[in-house]
Amino acid sequence: MPVIELAQLATLIIFSVNSLLLAALILLKVVHRARVRSHDRRRERYVELLSRHIAFENCTDPITSEMAEDPAFLDALIDVRNAVAGSELRTLRNIVRRHGVIEHQIRKLESPFPLGRRFRAAVALAEIGDETSAHVLEQHLTDREPEIRIQSARGLGRIRWTPAIDKIVQRFSVEIPWVRARFSDTLTLYGPAATWPLLAYVRINHRYESVGPALALRTLAQIDDLQAVQPIIGILNDADDLEVEIAAIEALGDLGSPEAQSHLSERLDSPSWELRAKAATALGDIGDPASIELLVRRLRDPNWWVRRNSAAALAKLDGGIEALYAMLGDEDPYAADAAAEALTDAGELLIARERTEEEPRGANVLLTHMGSGGESYQ
Amino acid sequence: MILDLLRWVGYATITYFIVMQAYLIFLAVASGLALRRTHHLQRFGRVGEMLSSRSTPPISIVIPAYNEEAGIVDSVRSMSIVKYPRFEIVIANDGSNDDTLAALIEAFHLEKVRIPYRPDLECEPVQAIYRGRAGVDITVIDKENGGRADALNAGINAARYPYVLCTDADVVLDPDCLIQSMQRVVEDRERTVGVGGNIRPLNGSRVELGHLIEASVPSQLIPRMQILEYVRTFLASRPAWSWMNALPNVSGAFGIWKKSTMVEVGGFTTGHMGEDMDLTMRIHRYHLDNRIPYRIVYEPSAVIWTEVPDTIRVLRRQRIRWHRGLMTATKDFLPMTLNPRYRQVGMVSWAGYFLFEYLAPIIEFTGWFVVPTAWLLGALSGTSLMWMLLIALGMGLLNSLLGLLLDETYGYFNSPKDTSRLVAMALIENFGLRQMTVLWRIRALIGGASVRGWGNMERRGVANLAKQS
Repeated sequence: MPVIELAQLATLIIFSVNSLLLAALILLKVVHRARVRSHDRRRERYVELLSRHIAFENCTDPITSEMAEDPAFLDALIDVRNAVAGSELRTLRNIVRRHGVIEHQIRKLESPFPLGRRFRAAVALAEIGDETSAHVLEQHLTDREPEIRIQSARGLGRIRWTPAIDKIVQRFSVEIPWVRARFSDTLTLYGPAATWPLLAYVRINHRYESVGPALALRTLAQIDDLQAVQPIIGILNDADDLEVEIAAIEALGDLGSPEAQSHLSERLDSPSWELRAKAATALGDIGDPASIELLVRRLRDPNWWVRRNSAAALAKLDGGIEALYAMLGDEDPYAADAAAEALTDAGELLIARERTEEEPRGANVLLTHMGSGGESYQ
Repeated sequence: MILDLLRWVGYATITYFIVMQAYLIFLAVASGLALRRTHHLQRFGRVGEMLSSRSTPPISIVIPAYNEEAGIVDSVRSMSIVKYPRFEIVIANDGSNDDTLAALIEAFHLEKVRIPYRPDLECEPVQAIYRGRAGVDITVIDKENGGRADALNAGINAARYPYVLCTDADVVLDPDCLIQSMQRVVEDRERTVGVGGNIRPLNGSRVELGHLIEASVPSQLIPRMQILEYVRTFLASRPAWSWMNALPNVSGAFGIWKKSTMVEVGGFTTGHMGEDMDLTMRIHRYHLDNRIPYRIVYEPSAVIWTEVPDTIRVLRRQRIRWHRGLMTATKDFLPMTLNPRYRQVGMVSWAGYFLFEYLAPIIEFTGWFVVPTAWLLGALSGTSLMWMLLIALGMGLLNSLLGLLLDETYGYFNSPKDTSRLVAMALIENFGLRQMTVLWRIRALIGGASVRGWGNMERRGVANLAKQS
């Protein structure tokens, strides 16, 4: 009866595994709950302890090396770190250095595994943001784990470690999209200190690639440093890559400098609809009413995106709403369509309805164009 | 001769069941490995950064609604406070007979507006469009009745953003679910065309003003059985399929899609009873046929809570509808099944669906008759039959326990009472409940009047769910 014996053995194994899984489930439930409670209690105690050390310079309550290695201590440290500033932050940094917290986290970060431990250490170093960890974080900008690279950059950004800016910027050309986007966020933490390295990167690379320079331009827009306006105009005039041109136009719009207006207006006549559409949006962002006439002309553009963006841009300009109302009666139904949509998005149709009673003529124009309430829009 | 045939059919039936459970256990183990990595990434702070990042793409939340008066306002409120930098809510009222539209107009101060509407996807005519004035960026499309898929297509047409979340009116979104799922888009925007979320039953949990306050397992057996099913599906198999880029189904309750991709494949198929599965498979087929790099991923930390049937009558109707949807999809995508051209989708996940979802009720149902008959006629020995059934039961239990273990690590139910209820359910479901679902699926195979359109269950509204348990 080998089949029966085999079946018996299989049953035994399966039910043994089931019993083990059940035991693991119970254990996990009990142990996990106990661990979470204990962690929370210790965390609260450590927050009080650190607060006492910060408040009283001569506090004698001991912080031991065992405590410094406790994950609950780390969480408490991050809680306190995010709640203090100025001299209190300096005191906290002294406590951190005195008790070897940074060294301990660096050791964890540099161990080959487990992954969770390394992640936690990288996050801790980024959160604590102490200058003594800067060199290690710089090395880990090229770590094999994307999350560790991100956290390393974030830590460097938090302490404004300027020697790392160039290294982070250069990674734009080689990183995966997710990490690249997070590096861009990090560079905004540096503020204007990152402006020139970013501009230099774009200048050198925009002829050879588009993704990195385009992201660098968007990062410049985020940093919001007006020193970048003229160099970006130069890049816009010099670039022959569509992605880079689009990013430059967006950046100029976000920076909102009137210096860029004439260059953007030229793009409204570009053969590329993408550039026309982006230029329209950027002119709306700059907000100069001098663009109204140009944008109204673009409401009759053959491309839907250009019409839509031009109408949305007009809605942002002083006097633009009136121009959109005037376009509702335009002979080009597509232009009227774009104007109506922008007015709706701006909440203006409600006002238009109120005007219906006061100025029947204006309302008729609107309703004729859009159709009556009951009919299908298809 | 007949006895031999009965014996072999009997053995084949039980062996099939064991192989099916082995496949599910393989998926559960692979899911565990996939979840472990995702868990680390989630735990250590990548998500919060997205809230302030410019690289976070805006998204349109599209909600089809048909006679959802009871819960639509609470649902929209829960959706309007999700943590996400930029989103809009588009509700497609699919010709409701109740006061769904009036409830929305009142709650969100909607005004009828006249804006152009572009029918990129085919759908029934739109009667009117409303926009909100009360802070929430909300658009309501009032259209003629055409079914869930049709309403979704109308909503997608009106969506202004490049990604659309197709969901239901009876769900409660976890505040982090959008940001958790969209991070998968941001990390690879070129290739990511779809993201599925982790659907969990809401029955028995405490919900206030459209927000989940406390998750718990209800005492009623029917919703409790479904919780276990959802745990097995969403924690013990989808992570593995996602890891293989072979998700055969992004659930209709929470699916984020690239709008341009949806327009390319023609959106949801109107009248299909498994429109979510149909769409997912068409998107796979489109990309694989045209050799376009893509991925459809599942994000377990994007949690969505939904009401599940709490009576046998409603559950029966739902399961018949689901199985008919599967039947149609099986027929439509038969050329993909076990076809190496469709890589992991054809060879692993869709093959698994065909073998262990579509064929399962037929084989199990056959087994109910053949195995006892073979035993009564002496073609199967009582001892071997007993051992094989024990193996099958043990493997089924193993699969459920693996799911619960994953749920314990990555899930939501904190109290020991909830866990013990689910463990008990893992055993109880084998004695009657599982068999009941097999019968319903056989009923679906037999045919009869189709439950087309919405196939709606009676809604209690998310705020009233806790009271029933």
